Amino acid sequence: MDTLGRILMVEDDPNDVELTLTALEEYNLANEVVVTRDGQEALDYLYCRGQFSARASDNPAVLLLDLKLPKVDGLEVLHQIKSDDRLKMIPVVVLTSSREERDMMRSYQLGVNAYVVKPVDFHEFVNAVRELGVFWAVINQPPPGSARKEL
Amino acid sequence: MTDLSGGRIRVEARRALARWDLELHNVRSPILRYGFSVACAAIAFGLALTLQYYRFRDVEVPVFTLSIAITTWYAGVGPSVLAVLLSMVLFDYFFTEPLHSFEISIRELPYFFIFATWGIIVASFAAVRRRIEDSLRGAQEELAKRAAELEAANKELEAFTYSVSHDLRAPLRHVLGYAELLQKQSSSILDDKARRYMAMILEASKRMGSLIDDLLGFSRIGRAEARKTAVNLDLLVREVIAELGQDTKDRDIGWTIGALPVCYGDRSMLKLVLTNLLSNAVKFTRIRPRPKIEIGCADGKDNQVEVFVTDNGAGFDMQYVNKLFGVFQRLHRAEEFEGTGIGLATVQRIIHRHGGTVRAEGAVDQGATFYFSLPKR
Repeated sequence: MDTLGRILMVEDDPNDVELTLTALEEYNLANEVVVTRDGQEALDYLYCRGQFSARASDNPAVLLLDLKLPKVDGLEVLHQIKSDDRLKMIPVVVLTSSREERDMMRSYQLGVNAYVVKPVDFHEFVNAVRELGVFWAVINQPPPGSARKEL
Repeated sequence: MTDLSGGRIRVEARRALARWDLELHNVRSPILRYGFSVACAAIAFGLALTLQYYRFRDVEVPVFTLSIAITTWYAGVGPSVLAVLLSMVLFDYFFTEPLHSFEISIRELPYFFIFATWGIIVASFAAVRRRIEDSLRGAQEELAKRAAELEAANKELEAFTYSVSHDLRAPLRHVLGYAELLQKQSSSILDDKARRYMAMILEASKRMGSLIDDLLGFSRIGRAEARKTAVNLDLLVREVIAELGQDTKDRDIGWTIGALPVCYGDRSMLKLVLTNLLSNAVKFTRIRPRPKIEIGCADGKDNQVEVFVTDNGAGFDMQYVNKLFGVFQRLHRAEEFEGTGIGLATVQRIIHRHGGTVRAEGAVDQGATFYFSLPKR
């Protein structure tokens, strides 16, 4: 039976949120997407704090993480996740504009599962997001305790 | 080998001596400095007595002058005066007739004069040394300041390219994304003119995207560390031509590859140089029914190898040759030949980083030749 894993997206730019969701919607992958707008909110979600204190404590199947974020930036979120025993199993995909080797090196050192540079070309962008969505939310078997919906 | 280690020991010894010298000069406490003066005089006195005991004659004066010189050189003027006085007293009491009395005869005055003059001479040398040291220190401080300023400027530049990389790309992606969506949603209700406008927006945005990417790539070359090894240019040229195969497969290009030397440089950077030059040659010979591209090695000057890439393509006007290697400089219209104008700037930057030079020759419609030189070792 097919299942759809929950995608937690951390992205501060509303345009990027809309374009990414549009790309995911085209392939019916947008139903289980949770959007958080900065690093602090993402950590609140993961730790079920603040506005997310009422949610069930399952982990997302994948985290799509932007690097440049207000308050707590992407690398700090990544560091926090990978140094927490309960959270470090969550696959984290950095989805960023930065092609800088420094960011890439740092992310991999912190244990990121994939690093994707957002293509400027929209078709390529849609393809990249779709493939990420299909792979991490449908094909990949997430670690036990992840939120998924049966299709 | 022994010569080398001997040299190293000499250098080490000289360095240790210089450090010791500097340490002594930096002593500022008056007690230590005057103590040094007294100690020197005492040692000189002891030495003079010992030498006299072994029947060396007339050695007191050189020994005392030496002690005065050392004191003046290291401890400064005050201790130097003390050293002169002490030497005089000791000399008068123990080494001149009548022995063991402070009686000063006219015959001893020249000795006092020698001690004092010697002290003054050494003191003036010490003053010169101090002045040189001060100006050196000033220059060093200035240099350190400049280095700090440079580093700050460099950091700023790095932050700048970093934010270009992050922040300039995002809005561009949005323009492209929404324009694509708009085109998809409403292309049926748009007339030809509007559709053309949409196409222009998309094309211009894509072009801006490639300009930003090229500029970032260009700035990365400046920051990346060059890892130099021996590079076989012949193999590298063949590799690049094979990679250009995509653009050249349905064209009959006459390649001529001369004997190419092994040179010394960063392989991936040199590959970028050749890729840029050869893809340019491929691009600008597109207008020819029988394109010809030749790569070879010209006679380089001392310890340099000079490689050339020549083609029978569109060429350029020698009047604009100095613009050729500038960033985003193009000598052809975009409709004629595509490109952002970063390729030759990249070539020049890489070759300059290798300590070589670039130049070009050409004429309109007669083809172009690009030369770059590299150090052999």
